[in-house]
Amino acid sequence: MKRYDLIVVGAGPAGLSAAAEAAAHGLGVAVFDENSRPGGQLFKQIHKFFGSKEHKAKIRGYDIGAGLLREAEGLGVKVYLNSPVTGMYLDREIVAETDGAVSHYRADAIVVATGASENMVAFDGWTLPGVMGAGAAQTMMNINRVRPGSRVLMLGSGNVGLVVGYQLLQAGCELAAVVDAAPRVGGYGVHAAKLARCGVPFFLSHTIVKAEGETRVTGVVIGRVDETWNIVPGTQKHFDADTICVAAGLSPSTRLLLMAGCEMYEPVPGGGRLPVCDEFTGKTSVQGIYAAGDVSGIEEASSAMIEGRAAGAAAAAELGYISGGELKARLDKLETALASLREGMFAPKNRGKVFVKTDEGYDISDSLLRNGYLADGEATKYPGVKSVAGIHPVIECTQNIPCNPCQDACPKGCIKVGTNIVSLPAVDEKAGCIGCGMCVASCSGQAVFLVNEDVGGGFATVTAPYEFLPVPQKGERGVALDRSGAPVCEAEIVDVRTSPSFDRTFLLTFRVPGEQCSRARFWRREVRRFGRD
Amino acid sequence: MRLTDHPILGRPDRGRVVTFNFDGGEMSGFEGEPIAAALRAAGVAVHRYTKKHRAPRGVFCAIGRCTDCVMVVDGRPNVRTCVTPLAEGMCVKTQYGAGGGELGSSAAPEAADGRATDEKV
Amino acid sequence: MVVINDRSRDLGPFMPADDDGLIICRCEEITKGEIRRAVHDGMFNLHEVRRFLRCGMGLCQGQTCGRLVRSIVARELGTPIAQIDEATARAPMRPIEMSVFAKEVEDV
Repeated sequence: MKRYDLIVVGAGPAGLSAAAEAAAHGLGVAVFDENSRPGGQLFKQIHKFFGSKEHKAKIRGYDIGAGLLREAEGLGVKVYLNSPVTGMYLDREIVAETDGAVSHYRADAIVVATGASENMVAFDGWTLPGVMGAGAAQTMMNINRVRPGSRVLMLGSGNVGLVVGYQLLQAGCELAAVVDAAPRVGGYGVHAAKLARCGVPFFLSHTIVKAEGETRVTGVVIGRVDETWNIVPGTQKHFDADTICVAAGLSPSTRLLLMAGCEMYEPVPGGGRLPVCDEFTGKTSVQGIYAAGDVSGIEEASSAMIEGRAAGAAAAAELGYISGGELKARLDKLETALASLREGMFAPKNRGKVFVKTDEGYDISDSLLRNGYLADGEATKYPGVKSVAGIHPVIECTQNIPCNPCQDACPKGCIKVGTNIVSLPAVDEKAGCIGCGMCVASCSGQAVFLVNEDVGGGFATVTAPYEFLPVPQKGERGVALDRSGAPVCEAEIVDVRTSPSFDRTFLLTFRVPGEQCSRARFWRREVRRFGRD
Repeated sequence: MRLTDHPILGRPDRGRVVTFNFDGGEMSGFEGEPIAAALRAAGVAVHRYTKKHRAPRGVFCAIGRCTDCVMVVDGRPNVRTCVTPLAEGMCVKTQYGAGGGELGSSAAPEAADGRATDEKV
Repeated sequence: MVVINDRSRDLGPFMPADDDGLIICRCEEITKGEIRRAVHDGMFNLHEVRRFLRCGMGLCQGQTCGRLVRSIVARELGTPIAQIDEATARAPMRPIEMSVFAKEVEDV
C-alpha cells in the first residue's frame, strides 16, 4: 500500500485544479484517471470559454487543460493514467487498476472529481450503430480526428448539444437539425444563433420517433410532442442522416461517493443524487472526503476549476499545511471568482427556471428561444445594438451570461459590461470605435459584429467571426445569410483578418447593400442554393 | 471520414501507419489511435452483434464507459475498441454474442453461447 | 420508502404498450416491457429489478440505463421518482477481468 497526503480521483478540470492547489501548499498529491490522457473533457473543448479574465475566459478549453497539467506536474503531482479507481473503502483507501494489476493506496484526504456522464434517451432504433452520445461525437472528431458521420441530427438543445453541433460543422459534417422535446432552446441563445445563421433548423417541442436503418442509421423520423410528451399524429418529419447525437444532459458520477458512505440528497427528483457538501469547498459528510466539479452538481468547467482549488486548499488546511487564517484568505479570493460565475442563467440557483426578461428588464427574444435566432428588427432593443455613423460594434448578446471579455478587449472603452459580469454589454457610441476587431474575436459566443452602415455607393460592411475551412479570400463573392441562415443578398469579401491575439478566429468583412447591414450576419461561398437546406 | 485539417485544431499529429486485420481483411490505421477510430475512418460501423437479439452495435460513448463497441481483439473478447490503441498486426474481429466460449476464438453467430465468459463483473 | 415496499398495493393488471419492445438496458438487452412486467411481478425497487432481470448488471454496470430504469419503475408504481432509491454502488466500478483481480500488488 502506498500513501499520499492527498489522492484526487479524476484528472479533469476540478481534479487537476485541486491537485495543483494542494501541491502548491506542500502536500504530496497523486491523481488517478481511467483515461489514457489527462484533462477530462477539456481537450475536447475547442471553443472559447465564457467568464472573465480570472476564469480564463476567451481561452479555448484545450489550452486551459494544457496549462493546468503543466502547473500540476510542475508542482510534483503524480498523475496515474489508465488507472481506473474501482473502489473506495474505509479510512480513505482506494483500489486502482494499473498495468493489469490492482493496487491499494491510502491518503489523509481524498478529492473525488469524477465528473459526470451523459444521460440517454431511449427511442425506437437507439441501439443502432450511428446513434451516439454528443460527447462521443466530440471525442471522435476533436481527439481521434475522425468524423463521426457525414450528416448528423442532434437531439438536445442544451449547451452540449449546441456546442457539439457547431463543432460538427467545423469538422465538415452536415447538421440536419437540432431537435429538443422542450419548448425552448436549453442552452445559451448565442450558441444557438451560431448554428441558426449557418442554416441549421431547430425543431423545439419535437423528439425522435425512430432511427431508421437495418445495420446502421440511415435516417431519422421526428415528431412534435404535446404537453404530455406524446407525439402529435401527422407531425412526423423524415431526415436523411447517418448519425444521431444525443445530448440529453449530464448526471454526476457519484458512485465512489456513495460507496464511501457520503450523505446524499436529490435536489431535482429523478435528476440523480448529489453529495451533501459545502457548496464551495465540497467537504462531504465523511471526514477527509471532498467532492469537486460536476460530481457535486453539474456546472461548467470554469466553476469546476475554482471548486477544485477550494477543495485543494481546504484539504491542505485540514491536514495542517496551512493555517485557518491562510485558508480563509485563499477561499475569500476564490469565492469572489465563483460567485460571479454563479450569477448566470445556468447557475445552480437558477436551475430549471425559465427566463422571460433579463436582469435589466429587457424581454428575452421568443424567436431566439424557439428558432435559435433573433427575429429581424429585434436586435435593436438591446443595449449592445445601436445604429451610429462609422464603424461600430454590434453586440447581439441578449441573455445574462457570466462573461465580459468584450469589455476588456476594446482599447477604446466602447463596450461596457460593468462590474457584474452577467450584465448585458452596452455600446457607448461616443467612445470612438477604431474597428480593430478585438471584440469580435474575443466573444466566446460569437455574438459581436462590426458594422459600417455606409461605406459609400449605397454599400455597408459587416465583419463577422469565422471558424471554418477553407477560409474565404479577399475579393471572393458569395452570399450573405441572415440570422436564420437564409440568403439575403450577394456579398463580396473585402477583408479577411487573422492575428495570434484572435486565437484562430478569422474576421471576415463582407460588403452588402446598405439596407441589408442589420440582417446580414454570415457569409457563404455558394451562390447556387437559395432557401434553407 | 478522417479530418486532414481543422479550423481550430489544425492538421492532426498522427502516429505511423500500421496495418491490421479486420475480419480477415487487411486495413490500415495510425498507431496508437483507438481501434474504433481506425474502423470509423474505414467506414466500419458495426462492431458486434448482441447475444440475445443478434442486433448490430457500434460506437456509443467513445470513452470506454458503455462497452457497446467491444470486439474480439487478438483473440480476446469484450475489448473496448474506443479506448484500446491500435498496434501493428492486430487481429480485430466483429464480436458475436459474448465473443465465444474461449479466449482465442470468435464464434460465429449460430455458435455464440457465451456462457463461459458471461460478462458478470 | 415505506410506501414503495407496501406489497399489498394493487398496481392493477399489466397493460401492454406499444413501446414495450424498446431496449432499455443495452448491455443485457432488457426491454421496457420486461421491466414494467417485473414491477407487476413484485419487483418494487431497483435492486430487485436488477437481480430479477439483470438490467444494469452487464458490462457497463448500469451507467447508461440506470436513470431510464428508475423512471420506468417509478411510473409503473405510480410513485414520485425521488422515492425510488438508485442502485447500490459496489466495487468494482469498472469492468475488470478476473485475472487482474488475482494480481494484487502488495508494495507499490
